[in-house]
Amino acid sequence: MSERLHPPETSETPATTVSPTSTSLVRTRLKDRRPAGHRKISGPPRDRIGYLFLTPWFIGMALFTVGPILASLYLSFTEYTLLKPPEWLGLDNYREMLADPRLHKSLLVTFVYVFVSVPIQLVLALALALLLNRGVRGLSFYRSVYYLPSLLAGSVSIAILWRQIFGKDGLVNQVLALFGTEGVSWVSHPDFALGTLVLLNAWTFGAPMVIFLAGLRQIPTSYYEAAQVDGAGTVTRFFHITLPMLTPIIFFNLVLQLIGAFQSFTQAFVVSGGRGGPSDSTLLYTLYLYERGFGSFDMGYASAMAWFLLAIIAVLTGINFLFARRWVFYGG
Amino acid sequence: MPRRTSGLAALCLTGVLLAVSACGGGSSGGSDGGAVELRFGWWGNNDRAAATQKVIEAFQAKNPGIKVKGSYTDFNSYFDRLATEVAGGRAPDVITLGGAYPREYGDRGALLDLAKTGLKTDKIGAAALDNGKFGGVQYGVPTGVNAISLIVNESVFEKAAVDLPEEDTWTWDDFKRIAKELAQKLPKGTFALADPTRTDMLDVYSRQRGEALYTADGKVGIGEKTLVDWWTMTLELMNAGATPPASQTAELITQPAPEQSLMGRGQAAMQFDWSNQLSALSKAAGQPLRLMRVPGESGATQPGMWLQASQIYSINAKSEHPQEAAKFVDFLVNSPDAGKIILADRGIPANSDVRTAIQDVLGEPEKAQATFIDALTPKAGPPLVIGPAGSTDTPKILDRVNAEVLFARQQPAAAATDFVQQVGTAIKQ
Repeated sequence: MSERLHPPETSETPATTVSPTSTSLVRTRLKDRRPAGHRKISGPPRDRIGYLFLTPWFIGMALFTVGPILASLYLSFTEYTLLKPPEWLGLDNYREMLADPRLHKSLLVTFVYVFVSVPIQLVLALALALLLNRGVRGLSFYRSVYYLPSLLAGSVSIAILWRQIFGKDGLVNQVLALFGTEGVSWVSHPDFALGTLVLLNAWTFGAPMVIFLAGLRQIPTSYYEAAQVDGAGTVTRFFHITLPMLTPIIFFNLVLQLIGAFQSFTQAFVVSGGRGGPSDSTLLYTLYLYERGFGSFDMGYASAMAWFLLAIIAVLTGINFLFARRWVFYGG
Repeated sequence: MPRRTSGLAALCLTGVLLAVSACGGGSSGGSDGGAVELRFGWWGNNDRAAATQKVIEAFQAKNPGIKVKGSYTDFNSYFDRLATEVAGGRAPDVITLGGAYPREYGDRGALLDLAKTGLKTDKIGAAALDNGKFGGVQYGVPTGVNAISLIVNESVFEKAAVDLPEEDTWTWDDFKRIAKELAQKLPKGTFALADPTRTDMLDVYSRQRGEALYTADGKVGIGEKTLVDWWTMTLELMNAGATPPASQTAELITQPAPEQSLMGRGQAAMQFDWSNQLSALSKAAGQPLRLMRVPGESGATQPGMWLQASQIYSINAKSEHPQEAAKFVDFLVNSPDAGKIILADRGIPANSDVRTAIQDVLGEPEKAQATFIDALTPKAGPPLVIGPAGSTDTPKILDRVNAEVLFARQQPAAAATDFVQQVGTAIKQ
């Protein structure tokens, strides 16, 4: 917080604290703050060098990101079976999507998956962040341990582990057997399979948790002290200080995790053996997209699906930002 | 341990995805010292991998200018991976295919007309050779001959004190009776058989009634009544405990390796499978298994069983070295040396010279396969009508609809209508 007390204009006096090697940097930073008239003289060549250094990135971006994105937009209006050149179809792919029952099923599965797993994940993340923020001994150790699943959960190996845990002869059923209950194959039962995937995604609460922790650190302790003096209890302090001060972080995590969850693929692919089964109960949107593209050689349709997913995510994120004004509090 | 293969496959698949998106180097061109490098794609388990590597080494010893690189995954991921590779323009030079896939890829212009490469096919059985020929074009040559069969574990029958069926005369009713009897007498966790629903069995069942899964002009040929009867039977078996509960069946279909099947784990008395799986299943189960003809053949309108090319070798139309690729395929199917390594793993060799050459080196399960195929040859029904383009979706559709039936979410009648309609849509596209 103390940095905020010093406005940026003080950067004219840093020479005393800066080592000799970085003085040139300081000078360029100072130049930035000169009036516009001076900039005209020194600006362009430096910009050119800047862009020069950025060229590899620009080329990569154009070739591997923008190019394929535009190509997929074109392909979404065609029939493209990979082996023959695409044939123009106009809006037919999009029209077919309206009447495709499996697409509708996959949308339903995806929405359930996203809107169940993300809230669970965020609540878990916040709860643990609050716990760890109370000055636990060995905080960095716990932080790493809880963060680990976020790094691992997207991997094939964890998905295979999941199959093992929730399979017919898996760990869960072995534990149940101790209590004399015989479990089903959880990953292969239409009523439970999606649940195991939701659990897997919720288990990755580590990433939002670390961000929550950082956010909690930003709340000035003076607020709590003042509230305590006024007689506010733990619950009151949480709802009237912590939560409001944390809303920008909650919002950030919400947007990020929603976008991420809509694009989940690996876990569902591996856990369901690439089929989204049983009877399409784990057919995430991305899985169906993959199946149409690479299973049925329907690249045009798959491209149209990809653009529709983009639209869904864009609209939801837009709605998120719209409502954010009502509940997100950016400090007094 | 049994999950290792599927894990490997999934890893390989991710690797392929990465490779495709990164467009890394490693072209098939022969830049190093003039040696031509071929890629050979196939599916299978570790034993097949070891044998295939030996064949490749034997070929390379005879053809010093050609290097062959094998690349393989398990069956479920193989075709996903192939599609990705074809899409990226990096498909193997020699591609293993089967069933409706030669047509699927051939009709889309991805495969070479083998007649134009001068590949010798004069010693290869005509019926099997036809399985690689579509619209007059020879898209592939058969690796061997195969038939759908019933694989039986006699020791499980003995343990349950149930008599083996009379394979020449038994009916589907006998089959049901035996399966239920087994269910009563077998210990918990061991089943009469895994859920028998698979497209090959629908082929057999419908052909016995004078129908077929597909008609010759590329439409759905199986009647809804046939499907309803089939599912009524499989439900009866499941409810009697002769087949595993629905969720276990759903788990089993995601694990295609012989080692992961109930039969391979010694947990089933019977399994409908291709005859060339006998060796792998016997090895996995650690017990001698035997082949039997499927039920219902004697009283049928026509025999449901048929002889089929077990796998097909094709050459990528975009291969930079079609001549060398043809040479390799020629070695695989026509050379007794290759035959002595592959034995009957890819079916009983379709080349008559190779078949004679390997007779003495065959092990017990392979001999049993050869005897089985020989005995079936005069009794087999007409050649199978292979599905049109789009029909490679059928197994996935069947898995989905079958799950609906087994989990009691759909009645057999509704499921039958659904299946016929969905397959119809898939093959129209």
